[in-house]
Amino acid sequence: MTRVVLRGLLARRLRLGLTAFAVALGVTLVAGTYVFTDTINASFDTIFTKAYEKTDVVVSPGDAVNGQDDNRAPMPASVLDQVRSTGGITNAEGGIFDFGATVLTPKGKKIGQGGIVASRRDNQRYELFDVAEGKLPSTAGQVAIDKATADRKHLKVGDQVLIAAQTPKQAFRIVGIIRIQGVDSLGGSPVAMLTLPEAQRITGKVGKLDEIDATVRKGTDPQTVKRELTAKLGPSVHVRTGKEEAASQSKDIRDNLGFLQTALLAFAGISLFVGAFIIFNTFSITVAQRAREFGLLRTLGASRAQVLRSVLGEGLFLGFAGAVIGIALGIGLAAGLRALFKAIGFELPSNGTVIASRTIIVSIVVGVVVTMLATLAPAIRATRVPPVAALREGFVASTGRRSRLAFPASIVMLLGGLVLMALGLFGTGSSNRDLTLVGVGAGLMFLGTALVSPRLVPPIAGLIGAPMRGITGRLARENAMRQPGRTAATAAALMVGVALVAFASIFAASARKTIHDYVSNGSHAQFIVQNTDGFSSFSPLAAKRVAQVPGVTKVSPIRFFQGEVGKNKVGMTSVDPATFPDLYRGGGTGQLRTLQPGSAYVSKGYRDDHHPGAVVRVKTATGQTVPLRVAGTYNDKGHLLSDVTIANTQAATDFAAGKDNYVFVAGTGGKATQNAIKATLKSDFPQTEALTNQEFIDDQAGQIDQVLALIYALLALAIIVSLFGIVNTLVLSITERTRELGMLRAIGTSRRQVRKMIRYEAIITAMLGGILGAVLGVVLALLVSQPLDDFKLAIPFGSLIALLILSAVAGVFAAVLPARRASKLDVLEALAYE
Amino acid sequence: MIVTGSDLRRTYGTGEAAVHALDGVDVNIQQGRFIAVMGPSGSGKSTLMHVLAGLDRPTSGTVAIDGTEVTRLDDKALTELRRDKVGFIFQAFNLLPILTAEENILLPLSLAGRSPDREWVDRLIDTVDLRDRLTHRPSELSGGQQQRVAVARALASRPAVIFADEPTGNLDSSSSREVLELLRKAVDEFGQTVVMVTHDHDAAKIADEIIEMADGKIVNGHGPAA
Repeated sequence: MTRVVLRGLLARRLRLGLTAFAVALGVTLVAGTYVFTDTINASFDTIFTKAYEKTDVVVSPGDAVNGQDDNRAPMPASVLDQVRSTGGITNAEGGIFDFGATVLTPKGKKIGQGGIVASRRDNQRYELFDVAEGKLPSTAGQVAIDKATADRKHLKVGDQVLIAAQTPKQAFRIVGIIRIQGVDSLGGSPVAMLTLPEAQRITGKVGKLDEIDATVRKGTDPQTVKRELTAKLGPSVHVRTGKEEAASQSKDIRDNLGFLQTALLAFAGISLFVGAFIIFNTFSITVAQRAREFGLLRTLGASRAQVLRSVLGEGLFLGFAGAVIGIALGIGLAAGLRALFKAIGFELPSNGTVIASRTIIVSIVVGVVVTMLATLAPAIRATRVPPVAALREGFVASTGRRSRLAFPASIVMLLGGLVLMALGLFGTGSSNRDLTLVGVGAGLMFLGTALVSPRLVPPIAGLIGAPMRGITGRLARENAMRQPGRTAATAAALMVGVALVAFASIFAASARKTIHDYVSNGSHAQFIVQNTDGFSSFSPLAAKRVAQVPGVTKVSPIRFFQGEVGKNKVGMTSVDPATFPDLYRGGGTGQLRTLQPGSAYVSKGYRDDHHPGAVVRVKTATGQTVPLRVAGTYNDKGHLLSDVTIANTQAATDFAAGKDNYVFVAGTGGKATQNAIKATLKSDFPQTEALTNQEFIDDQAGQIDQVLALIYALLALAIIVSLFGIVNTLVLSITERTRELGMLRAIGTSRRQVRKMIRYEAIITAMLGGILGAVLGVVLALLVSQPLDDFKLAIPFGSLIALLILSAVAGVFAAVLPARRASKLDVLEALAYE
Repeated sequence: MIVTGSDLRRTYGTGEAAVHALDGVDVNIQQGRFIAVMGPSGSGKSTLMHVLAGLDRPTSGTVAIDGTEVTRLDDKALTELRRDKVGFIFQAFNLLPILTAEENILLPLSLAGRSPDREWVDRLIDTVDLRDRLTHRPSELSGGQQQRVAVARALASRPAVIFADEPTGNLDSSSSREVLELLRKAVDEFGQTVVMVTHDHDAAKIADEIIEMADGKIVNGHGPAA
């Protein structure tokens, strides 16, 4: 039987190739994701291991709540004295490692994404960096920059760079080019190394430290010292041995990348899901076409089990071949992803590609299992072919005849999917479990729609095909409706991708609308100052400078940070009580004028027990727990304010939130005033910009569009897979209709007409997938947005129509190869074809 | 002469293995005649029909249909020639299962983008006696009915010549008779020219002339210009 399987496969090379590719693309993303993240993780592991090789004990800020921009609040420098006075410690030194700086070229052009300010270490053993060229900075005004930045911007020793952080923009002379444990860049952000006092000064961390490294006396166990320090310094800091610190930092990187990995794997799952549709469809068609062959095998004495094994054997082979191709492509994809990240400014370190055995095993298992599952139903159908089929000409196994269970089953799936999604969306379980529920629910809805869609084929195909004139249009329509199950399954593969694209575009449009509404309805400012990246915090000095610009009448800084109540994270906002109510009007924001340290307003609906007069105890980034008396509630329709709002002054002292995220500016003089503000910011804080309300809306929308573009790119893979499905189905259908095509050609159909007919059929199939997908996308968006309060659902009809047109275009592309094959058929051979 | 073939040769394969399906055949077919081509399998009768109908190209020799030299045409022109000047009837009916009987009959006209001559079509439908079956699909018709649809389809565009390849091969005797009588009628009443390949002697009797072939040559019947 094995020989029969192999012969069969070789005889259908094109189909084999296309089907294997449907699996391969999904596996590519799986393998690529693992290789990509493993390579980065391994590289960071090496960096951290080397960096802490000679450090015995490390003290760092504790596991308090993250502060602004998700950074931990620094420790007071007094901790260093406590460390130094601890028995067994021979040497200790503090350092700064701050992510909130902006590095610019001498001409004032911002370099890369973000910016790191690090302090130079006195003791070489604690130094993370090594000198590639020149020397390390030793006086104020000197800087060493990382090699990647130097190379990218053609900066040399002796040149200047500008650095803006908590202090206004200032020039430093480059005295050295540095590398990070042999690697040129640490994730693409420019690194500026300064002397410790300078680093503390410009990051606003005078008298504070981000990390303390210590050496213990020879012969003393670092663990012993660690225990002693832990007891002495209390829970507001972490004490770790060098090894532990390296492991902890590696873990942080892993956790951060873990999100990316999960996201990429989710998209891989989507591609595989789509691929499974195609494999199922391809096998269903071929099993039907090969009914006589199975009948013959049965007549010759093959058992049902043998027939089953022969079809499953094909699936096994195909899944394996697809997985192997996928792994090879995945390794290439990982390199491509790295290049892509580098191109957009995130240069990730690499000490050589890591291909873990886990990557290979998971890829092969996934490829084979998905393929075999998709093959199972067609394989079972093959066993039902009676031996007599061999003798009966034109016997076609039942594919067109749908099971009577299909309709009830599809309803059960749709309802089940709905219930699972509802459980996930309104559930109180862990967010991971909820997300899984939503995902599985959506998957079931896709399957349910696919199962019910054969019934929708005739009406929708008739509708789409209506404008297709002439006999070719008529034939294409009829051909598309001829096997509704086949057309539906082919379209369903595309439907999945289109639905997700529609879903993403609806969410993006809604987010844009939400931002638009809160700015246009809420903002009474003329200008809004923000970081040029659109979200990071910046020095509060910027607001002070802006206030001095002629024409500016009022400035009001706003900050976002986190707190923890009980075990739950809570989003917090702080405002300037004196000015905020004038520049922003949401529901009940006028009361914020009465805010003072120790009091807070909470969002309406934020935990029922937080009624006015109640005291909320919030854990802060500095590790303390602050009691806040609830003064009242607001109902901010604009969603600018988070759940708890306090005064800026208290945010700075108790929550380590001393930087501003946005500054609302009121002023007179219009464009002239804006230009004056811009000029002031450019000279002092070039990491910020002043925008009008409309510019601010556009800028925020631009950020959403970037994320959307990324999602589209990842979904494109699933859509490409589904196009392979259309090609495959058409090729198989053409084979089936060879004689008809021969007759059509014989009685005078031109090649052009044949091509047109196939093209129309492809367009009908693709648009069917497009329409079902768009509808399903809207339904999913409606469902998912239900639990989001005041989320302004906006349906971008323009985008959805564009999506349908793109589906049709995709159909045209998918038709190219099949149409050419069909038009090139030799008439006589086709007529003689069995 | 509506169809002429001169010194037709058709060779498959090369060298030792070469098969001469047509080995120097001359035919001249007059308008309004019913010609039967007979011969054992492998005699070249089907190849002759394919070459005359422009479905296959001879290795050498020329074919002309209604004054057009078929052997010189490119695929596009050949397609148009088949569409406008040639009608086909196949052994396996070869109707499109997705179209109704009437749509199948009108298919060659639809392909040409011509609107049908209603009077002619009505006459055809009555001739093949399918008026009450027009909206049926082929799967709902008997074999004889399907072949009658095919005959009407071949006649629809009033071609210069109709080629019928074993038109009764898949039919029972009474249906066979019906189809043959229809072809006879097409010649007698409509002045059609019909070339029918068959190995059924009874079927061949209805023809005006019989061309008998063996080993790629005409052995009896209609040779060079009669």
